[in-house]
Amino acid sequence: MISRFQIAYKNLLRKKARTLLTLVGIMLSSWVLVSLLGFNRGYEQALNRDIDNMGYQLMVMAKGCPYEAATMMLQGGAGLRYIEPSMVAEIAGREEVEKITPILMQAFFDPDKGDGGGIAGYYGVEAASYPAMKPFLRFHQGGWFQGEEAGEAVMGYEAAELEQRVVGDMIMVPEKNVPLKVVGILERTGTQDDGTIFVPLKTLQKIAAIDKITTIGIKTRKDADSQKLETALYQLPDVQVVSFSQVKQTIMKLIATARVMVLSIAIIAILIAMVGVVNTVLMSVLERMQEIGILKTMGAMPGDIFFLVWCETLILCASGGVAGIGLALVFSRLSDLLVRRILPYAPGGELVDIDLKLALLTLAVVVVVGLLSGIYPAWKAGRVRPLESIRSEG
Amino acid sequence: MTSAANGKPAPFSGRFVIGTVLLLLLHLEALPAPAAVNCELNYPSRDVARLFPGSTGFKTSYFSFGQRGGAPLLRKVEARLGGAPALYAPLDVPYTLYEIYQGDKKIGYIHGVNQKGQFGVIESFVSLDLKGTIKAFYIQRIAGQWARKFTSPQFGRQFLELGLKDFQRYDTVSGKGTGKVAAIGNPAPEAATDFYGLLRAVKKNLVLMDEFVYSAEGGRQ
Repeated sequence: MISRFQIAYKNLLRKKARTLLTLVGIMLSSWVLVSLLGFNRGYEQALNRDIDNMGYQLMVMAKGCPYEAATMMLQGGAGLRYIEPSMVAEIAGREEVEKITPILMQAFFDPDKGDGGGIAGYYGVEAASYPAMKPFLRFHQGGWFQGEEAGEAVMGYEAAELEQRVVGDMIMVPEKNVPLKVVGILERTGTQDDGTIFVPLKTLQKIAAIDKITTIGIKTRKDADSQKLETALYQLPDVQVVSFSQVKQTIMKLIATARVMVLSIAIIAILIAMVGVVNTVLMSVLERMQEIGILKTMGAMPGDIFFLVWCETLILCASGGVAGIGLALVFSRLSDLLVRRILPYAPGGELVDIDLKLALLTLAVVVVVGLLSGIYPAWKAGRVRPLESIRSEG
Repeated sequence: MTSAANGKPAPFSGRFVIGTVLLLLLHLEALPAPAAVNCELNYPSRDVARLFPGSTGFKTSYFSFGQRGGAPLLRKVEARLGGAPALYAPLDVPYTLYEIYQGDKKIGYIHGVNQKGQFGVIESFVSLDLKGTIKAFYIQRIAGQWARKFTSPQFGRQFLELGLKDFQRYDTVSGKGTGKVAAIGNPAPEAATDFYGLLRAVKKNLVLMDEFVYSAEGGRQ
């Protein structure tokens, strides 16, 4: 015996073009929706990963704009304000501090970079304390510096690839014309470290003719009260403290507006698709009034007709939803690239993270909203009066 | 909907439209990934006008070993350059080719390569006519105190009117050659690595153009 789903399927095949266009509408909406939900989750995960990869939870730097500070941390920009190195010892004595490292960021003008010159950034770090902050860093070649005043450099993978450097090669600090020997090249991390050139702190201080530092990175003890430490650090003269939870909140606030806008677009897309579903199914019902009338004269109850029409909606929404989710999975890298081009700051790693749970959630949303949209056409079909419909269309 | 006559999908049929959209999306998916480093002009509009006087426009396209020829072609190119392997992910590097036009007529190419220099990467470009003759030489990036000696017009002029034939007998490993290439003078003797690197860069550029462009057009040099 032919099932209700088979009848609904055959009904949909009667008008192939209309069914296909409706399916495409649902498919595109599902694609947008699942990609957006994947982005919502992926972006936050990627940001958390980037922040974890920083190795420390707090940074102390000279007073200035906090947004400038956030950019400096996450994109490796150059800090222009300095703090005294003696502050490191002062902070290291606090019980909440597990590890601490001084950092000096310097930017030099390279007249031969690009057309009209460009800025080359260097990161001065201590061989004794900085690697301990980032034990997850792995070397593609070589290792850390041999001494705190060595004329050496460790390059991130992309910096080395860009400059075509291998261990043993030399690089030249522009503006100062100081040669440094490359002693290590890091594995690719997917973070800003990939583009960074690390130099021993004292060497960079000597090159830049400055005895100060720009930043102090602090890793707190697991059981320590970070808030208490932050409050205490704020008491230090002329410094500001940036915690990565703050940075994350700031970035998430900046992204929130974009997320709301895209979510609105996704909701509108879903609504348009559902209007398409209503239109398709309703047209199908109106065209089959006589047929529905005959079914009723043969004993079909309003509920049978209702569920028959509802099955058509279910097939449309489920097929369109599955196809849309499939496309979103196949083209997730493309979505990732597009999102990266649009966003002012995009963390490393996958930005659009779609898994089975998210795919099923999206499918459920599409099917439920679709079935709700299908109630009216199904109800209208169920209310058809047999004799009237046969007479009117006869 | 299929054309009964030849069995091919009729234009604007459902399958044709869906196929076209999928192809477009797959093409977008295949765009060069940002991880691999290629050599592009910093300011293409301005640079093309300067490097190819008389041009009215240009088109940018990409080629890579990964897309065409793969590892065997890479080995062939490396063999033509003396057998020294490239340093970083050469199969993935998308090479940027600027096709130069005068009106609707193609008049030449601009192509650049990255080359290891003494203190960093050397980004050098050549403008080529349709026969593969160098019409302009440009160093976009080079590090070191002597950089200006290499970027000077006097040094660049030595490469004009040379082609792959002139570089055929230049050995990129020993740095020895004959004829016009051997006559190219080093403006900074203290920077031999950069000088020989530049000569290797030009030969590599010409070999890549020969393998990927001129041979495909049937005009192998």
